[in-house]
Amino acid sequence: MSAPILQVSQLTKRFGNLVALNGVSLEIREGEIFSIIGPNGAGKTTLFFNIIGLQKPDAGRVLFKGTDITGKSPHKICHLGITCTFQVPRAFANMTVEETVRVGAYKRYQGREMSQKVDEVLRICELEEYRHQRCSDMGLAHLRRVELARALATEPVLLLLDESGAGLNPSELTGLMDILHRLNEEMHITLCIVEHVMQMVMSLAQRIVVLDHGEIIAEGSPQEISTHPRVIEAYLGKRVVC
Amino acid sequence: MTETFLQNLINGALTGCIYALIALGLSLIFGVMNVVNFAHGDFVMLSMYLTFWIGVWAGMDAFITPLITFPALFLIGLLAYNALIDRTLRQKYVTQIAVTVGLMTFLRALAQLIWKAQPRALPYSLIQGSIQIGPYTILASRLVSAVVSVLAIAGVYLFLSRTWAGRAIRAASDDLDAASLLGIPYRQTYALAFGLGSALTAIAGGLLMTFQQVDPTMGVRFGLLSWCVLAMAGLGSIPGLLISGIIVGAAEAIGMSFWDPRARSLIVYLLFILVLWLRPRGLFGRK
Repeated sequence: MSAPILQVSQLTKRFGNLVALNGVSLEIREGEIFSIIGPNGAGKTTLFFNIIGLQKPDAGRVLFKGTDITGKSPHKICHLGITCTFQVPRAFANMTVEETVRVGAYKRYQGREMSQKVDEVLRICELEEYRHQRCSDMGLAHLRRVELARALATEPVLLLLDESGAGLNPSELTGLMDILHRLNEEMHITLCIVEHVMQMVMSLAQRIVVLDHGEIIAEGSPQEISTHPRVIEAYLGKRVVC
Repeated sequence: MTETFLQNLINGALTGCIYALIALGLSLIFGVMNVVNFAHGDFVMLSMYLTFWIGVWAGMDAFITPLITFPALFLIGLLAYNALIDRTLRQKYVTQIAVTVGLMTFLRALAQLIWKAQPRALPYSLIQGSIQIGPYTILASRLVSAVVSVLAIAGVYLFLSRTWAGRAIRAASDDLDAASLLGIPYRQTYALAFGLGSALTAIAGGLLMTFQQVDPTMGVRFGLLSWCVLAMAGLGSIPGLLISGIIVGAAEAIGMSFWDPRARSLIVYLLFILVLWLRPRGLFGRK
């Protein structure tokens, strides 16, 4: 078993009276595809935002490769090697696809090397033919890939993907899953995916945690999770015995 | 009649290029950090006074003073950002307005204290004379001012579209969270945008001083004027800003000659209200 790359311990986040995250602890291991699932409003996106620095947790710690990154700003965390994509794509509307990817690549590259990096990322995400298109003119499936591409350009060690399969049709989904597989196997990027599309989670993830009402209710392999009574309860409600 | 009209159109359009340059600075600041900088016009006033000082003490021509005032205003912009604006970003909108209006009042009072209330002007400029094209007279100083303004606007356009810092500013303006996830530090980006936005008023101030005098109350006029230009253009289009500047400048000049010189501001604001009413996003705006 490989070493943990990200350790979240007792993470708590409150919004007024609402406890969005209640003492969440989890470990993501180097090189794996990890998944967080849970019903709507379970706190998945909040968990991402608190890891990545877009929100500051009220309590708890986040360790990345042993270094405490709790409450650091997102650009610093990005420099360390973690970045994430948004649930609803937020591509830079007034830029072309290539420019968007360039913004990400500037962090580590310059000049010719940067252009190479941009080309490489566009190829991986199968966006080469759209490179001069403006993001505002693109459809959902492509925007998700643009978002993935610009995140990849920052050369993350750990990539957090927030529902990147949502709203895609089956063939688009297969395409995306192929790309994610390649990122993990060929580029050795550790992936953490938050997902509603079960087909995607079950075929990609090696380990899954289930979040409900801000708490982790189950953890295990896809097979274990799919038969876990509390998971079924959280998704479908309690079985009524009559 | 037609001749007077066209003559005013030319004069106004040339001045309008400077208005566009001022509005570009405002647009950078507002577009990137959503801060309504009411003190922007007073930065123009400050630049004009600095130009006056340098002209009097160092005998430097107003056209060349931006070599000194551009970095100076950039630093003043950085200082204003770090000391005041940065602290208000997460506050209520009202707080931001109070702070920039406060800065505006401060700068005006400071100008009155240092330079007194009487208007100041530089005696002459290197660029003298006029060009005669048919029945129309074009003042050389206005022509050069317009050309320099357009060049400066083009320079900013290239900076924003070609350089890393420029792209970072555009990315942060589009979506700050997404930009920060790509490793763009918000504070440096904001400070740069504010510094650059302020520094552009230095070029405008130098150009204005070649044919105009300065007094401490001028800031309000330029501030509101640049808001009109920005509202007309909408956010995100630099060529649109130039066209709007020219429209505002021309409308001002034509209105002054055909209606009443005192109606100068009235015409501009009529235009402003009309645009807000009919096209709230501006003529060329994206959001």
